[in-house]
Amino acid sequence: MRKWLLILAGGFLVAALFSVLIFGRTNALDQNRCLSCHGDPNLVRINRDGTKISLYVKEEFLNTSSHRFIDCTTCHDSDPHKVITPLDKVSLAEKCGSCHKYQYELHRQSIHGEQLALGNPDVATCVDCHSPTSNPHNVIRVLEYNAPTYKKNIAQTCAKCHSNEELMASYGIVEKVYDSYMRSFHGKAIQLGTYEISQLDKATCINCHGTHDIKRVDDPNSPVAGAENLAKTCEQCHEGAGVEFAKGFLGHKEASPKNSAVVFFTEKFFFALTASVVSFAVVIVGMAGIRWGSNRWKE
Amino acid sequence: MERVETVPVSKSVVLEKDIVRFDKHQIIQHIVLFVTFIVLALTGLPLKFHDWSVSQWWIDVWGGIETTRAIHRIAAYIMIADCIYHLFYIGFNTIALKRSFPTKMIPSPGDFKNLFQEIKYFLGFSKERPKFDRFNWREKFDYWAIFWGLPVIGISGFIMAYPVFVTKFLPGWIVPAAIIAHGDEAILAVSWILIVHFFFNHLSPGNFPLNKSIFTGKLSKERYRKDHPLEYERLVGTEEGKE
Repeated sequence: MRKWLLILAGGFLVAALFSVLIFGRTNALDQNRCLSCHGDPNLVRINRDGTKISLYVKEEFLNTSSHRFIDCTTCHDSDPHKVITPLDKVSLAEKCGSCHKYQYELHRQSIHGEQLALGNPDVATCVDCHSPTSNPHNVIRVLEYNAPTYKKNIAQTCAKCHSNEELMASYGIVEKVYDSYMRSFHGKAIQLGTYEISQLDKATCINCHGTHDIKRVDDPNSPVAGAENLAKTCEQCHEGAGVEFAKGFLGHKEASPKNSAVVFFTEKFFFALTASVVSFAVVIVGMAGIRWGSNRWKE
Repeated sequence: MERVETVPVSKSVVLEKDIVRFDKHQIIQHIVLFVTFIVLALTGLPLKFHDWSVSQWWIDVWGGIETTRAIHRIAAYIMIADCIYHLFYIGFNTIALKRSFPTKMIPSPGDFKNLFQEIKYFLGFSKERPKFDRFNWREKFDYWAIFWGLPVIGISGFIMAYPVFVTKFLPGWIVPAAIIAHGDEAILAVSWILIVHFFFNHLSPGNFPLNKSIFTGKLSKERYRKDHPLEYERLVGTEEGKE
């Protein structure tokens, strides 16, 4: 009997050890053993003009990539060594679009896609949002918690560009969109909530502005252009929301005498009230404390 | 339990060692008020200071943002009910039981005189503390602050809890105005309670660590004579008071 118990316990131990050892290890499909060379960080190609291009592909990225089960040659055509130029932003988006046709088409019609077609290097394309390192080998599935496109992380992903004041100013976007979002009801709820998807039913950037088909805010087709469109967008979550409800949103702007003067003066009034009462409290308690302290806490 | 409220008062509130200061309704009202107040502050302040990492941790302790939101609303309705209870209690006492209206709580110029007298005493210009009646100026401030604060924080909270409903009748700016009013009023209330109320009722000489009268309803004659001398004299008489 005792022998059997020992064997059972030993079996559990081996099984536990085995599952610990293989846990979290998902190896990327590498049918042609590309990584035997490209897994070397020092692998570079030297162009004729002397410039170096790293040909290193980090295996760690590949192993957690959403495309880990498709082979390298699916994207890098059947004879990858004949490809001369590395992909640029436009050709990279095209490459993704060869499978993800619908998303590619939407992106082409978006403000990001329009600018991309004009050769603007600033705009976000597929990998800028879907990969934490803007690296096509490191694209993470949308519903994984560490994906830049996971609901809880989206605001930070957009903020990679949209909280860059200099970059945004060159497009006339002066509102501090990220900061004002994080101060809003939605932003606080997302920030203080957990990563559970059931807790993330709050609006973030894309829920109002759109995702692949994102438009300029003054584009009449934008879901946030004008109070009417905005109200319809609010109504997706806030059943029965009207235009007045939508007007409660200050447009990512701080309240000022020109923009929502009532809100601005409410802010000033409550600040003055709170500051004066709290100062009075501190002064009166300070005086009493000093007096009683010098009395050695007698009356 | 009868309590000291009006002039002339019944001698029955003067016990052997203590004087009855609060009745059971007042004790319950205060307990419900401070329990809901603490719960509301604990579940609400992390939203005001949402970018502090301690807020994130604290929300997780409660079981997530949805839990704190639910608890915050429940506590808010209980607090409002408590205040309605208080108003009914005053109305019932004065109208049905024909007791006189609790005029001692009404602010008067004497409160400002007492405030200046107390400041003079604190600064060492006077050796005498002001002689308070049933309620001193701080107690009146605590009390009336709720008449301002609860409507402000309750109405602004209602606006934030039901924004779609509210904006059917009121302009949209009411919602961003409400979040400001709610947060600032909360800071004001919490600061006042933590600084003034706690200092004078828990840390002041003779009260440390806690003035229990709001829980027992009774205050010792000794403290009554010091803290509310005018009323004490009226109740017990000057001779006994001086001892």
